[in-house]
Amino acid sequence: MLVHSAGGLFVLWAVATLTFFAVRLIPGDPAQAVLGGPGSQASPEALAAVRAEYGFDQPLLVQYLRELGRLATGDLGRSYALNMDVAPLLLAQLGGTLLLALLALAVAWLLALALATWSTLGGKTAWAVGSGIEITAAALPHFWLATALIILFSTWLGVLPPISTPGPVGLVLPVLTLAVPLAGFLGQIMRESFQAALESPFVLSARARGEGELGIRFVHVLRHAALPAVNLSGWAFGSLISGAVVVETIFARPGLGRTLLNAVTLRDVPVVIGVVLIVALAYILMTLVTDLAGALLDPRGRTA
Amino acid sequence: MRQRASTLLIALAAVSALGLTGCSPASVTPSASSTPVSGGTLTYASGDAEPSCLDPHVGGNYPQALIATQYLESLVSRNDKGAIIPWLATSWKESADGLTWDFTLRDGVTFTDGTPFDAAAVQANIAHVQDPATGSSTGYLALQKITSTEAVSPQVVRLHLSAPDSALLESLSQVWVAMESPTALKRTQDENCASPVGTGPFMVTKWVKQDSVTLVRNDDYTQGPADSAHTGPAYLDSIVWKFIPDSASRYAALQSGQVDVIDNAQPDTIVQAEKSDQIAHLDAPRPGASNRIELNSGKAPFNDPLVREAFIRSANIDAAVKSLFFDTTKRSTSALSSAEALAVSRPDLFGYDPDQANQLLDAAGWTKRDADGFRVKDGKRLTVVFPVSTNQSIPAEQSLFEQLQATAKQTGFDVQLTPMDLSSWYGALAANDYNAVSAPYTKVGPDVLRILYHSDGITPAPSGYFANLAQVDDPKLDALLTQAAKTSDPDARADLYTKAQNRLLEGFYLLPLYDQQNHYLYRTTVKGLRALPTVSTPTFYDAWLAA
Repeated sequence: MLVHSAGGLFVLWAVATLTFFAVRLIPGDPAQAVLGGPGSQASPEALAAVRAEYGFDQPLLVQYLRELGRLATGDLGRSYALNMDVAPLLLAQLGGTLLLALLALAVAWLLALALATWSTLGGKTAWAVGSGIEITAAALPHFWLATALIILFSTWLGVLPPISTPGPVGLVLPVLTLAVPLAGFLGQIMRESFQAALESPFVLSARARGEGELGIRFVHVLRHAALPAVNLSGWAFGSLISGAVVVETIFARPGLGRTLLNAVTLRDVPVVIGVVLIVALAYILMTLVTDLAGALLDPRGRTA
Repeated sequence: MRQRASTLLIALAAVSALGLTGCSPASVTPSASSTPVSGGTLTYASGDAEPSCLDPHVGGNYPQALIATQYLESLVSRNDKGAIIPWLATSWKESADGLTWDFTLRDGVTFTDGTPFDAAAVQANIAHVQDPATGSSTGYLALQKITSTEAVSPQVVRLHLSAPDSALLESLSQVWVAMESPTALKRTQDENCASPVGTGPFMVTKWVKQDSVTLVRNDDYTQGPADSAHTGPAYLDSIVWKFIPDSASRYAALQSGQVDVIDNAQPDTIVQAEKSDQIAHLDAPRPGASNRIELNSGKAPFNDPLVREAFIRSANIDAAVKSLFFDTTKRSTSALSSAEALAVSRPDLFGYDPDQANQLLDAAGWTKRDADGFRVKDGKRLTVVFPVSTNQSIPAEQSLFEQLQATAKQTGFDVQLTPMDLSSWYGALAANDYNAVSAPYTKVGPDVLRILYHSDGITPAPSGYFANLAQVDDPKLDALLTQAAKTSDPDARADLYTKAQNRLLEGFYLLPLYDQQNHYLYRTTVKGLRALPTVSTPTFYDAWLAA
């Protein structure tokens, strides 16, 4: 547990450091962000004054140490562009993105499970079709899928809103955009392990006892087959948050992803670091959860 | 022949349709279907960045101007003929020496927090814009010549200037120096940024960051600028002002009816929209300068007027505007926006003529060509370094620069386009590391010419920035522009600006492209929408929703 925590802290430090230098080394002026962003006609004098006030004229290393010192005390700092503290700003955006990511993860699991079950039931053709669907789905870029879904469901059929509304209806397209490619990934892994488990001796004995094919899958096989997919879910959650950048922008949903994109464009370093730290923390927590879930599903690892 | 006649008919129909849509805001014909009805919520989707502060005194950019037009008002406005008209001030008088101006304010106006609008309020606003702590950039420049203010009576405010300023009224019409409640201005800047208080037809009631701002009707509102279509409160109950950064989703939301108006419409969506009978197009070019390429006359090769003219003659801008903007905009041959009544257009100077370009380059001594086909002189290639700000040039414009690069290559110019983000771009300009550059400049009135082309604008500020990017250094032009800035008599002023523009354009210092693009698309259920002829932001005061 101690090792885990130390590892987690190291990851957070490394993430903050990398982010700081990555954002500050792209050419661009954070002083512009303070004065209303690239569209403003900020006078050069005003820019110079802001640079002095925020210490942007200091050596980068000094700025880094100052940033790190503040983060160490748990203070995420103040956004250059939005005139507010980073912590409440991100807290307000966190809920929407978490909801989106968790729903997408759940839907992806359901889709993958349904596909894996069906394609291992239906012989060679089903196997090939399932595999084809999964590979295609996994390869779909979020921005393309989002646009295609908008054209299909909003412009042509007119059944779903193209930009997010507060209610559950507004969540359908964003969740699908994130869930479908992920379902492709999960499905591929699930189907392989499904097939492996279906060939094990305990399935043979279950069949010999006269249990039905569907029953065998849900009672005996799923437990084995789900394990690699559960392990992958920690990673998947991280990737969903990055997908949120695209999805929240296209569907105009408030959330961490959109906040991150705006902040990077404006070189708003405290916000970028804040979002990245939250994502890193979520990733660490998710890995911990999937480790625990893995242990529950596979008793062999418990004593180790 | 039959074929041609029918083509002509179609063209005529198209032209008259264009004329009709173009005139609709001005010619409101009262009929049963066009009687305004009150009520309803209009949803506006902006593609601009969400402002970090809703008070346009702070900073001062276009996204702020767009939304602040709905809840703040200025002392004066401008009509579509370019004349200054009353708004919060009913009349004004300039002293004989041009150094003091008296503004008489409209009686009985109150801010939406109950604070009366009077001379003291105007004084507080000018002080707020001029206070360095406010961090105003655009508004600060507009009020630069005001040295002090004085309340002659509660209804009359006097401004003292450091020099006569014929652009003062145009400067005051801009929303970046609009009037806010002095009581509200006393709050912290954070509070005032979140809920600025004005006298406008709507007021800010809620701001959910990264999502929307809610504006609700001001029921005590009595009248807008003098060219408004009605008096009394606005028709709409409220406006939801959303931010949808993605251009395709913005248009999809408009098509589905989820939003009623969008801004930043790109050429491809405008063409799509024109095929739809549910969506209409409002083209509102921004005032001030046209979009143009400045040729840096301060260094080789553009210090030679022959080379400047050759470059201009070698660029096929007309073809590029047609193919990349799909006729959604017109080619400009003026240094000023078509929104400026005093703009001088010179199509004779900016036509595509590669033969003449070649002759000019030969005459200038660039006679040899190297292995790549570029012209050389004294062992140096004819190179044009062209930094492009990706923040300030829309994708279609960046493509246009690439076409220009291709056509200029045929006459032997090596145009080196370098896409940059805004601060690297400012850096390249400050280092004088450019031969050509395109920089938009929005300001009400022709005084923008003095900012952009007076030789004073070559001297860099301490930070290295300067506005005269063509580095025009012409004492005769300076004299004309200085004189024009001091001359209030309309005819004399117009004459001076005409002379100045002809002199500037005939010097081939700049290559005009088109107006600064500013297109809105809206559902045809939205009636009475127009853009204010000041900085071309839409106003929803006269707007209503048809059932």
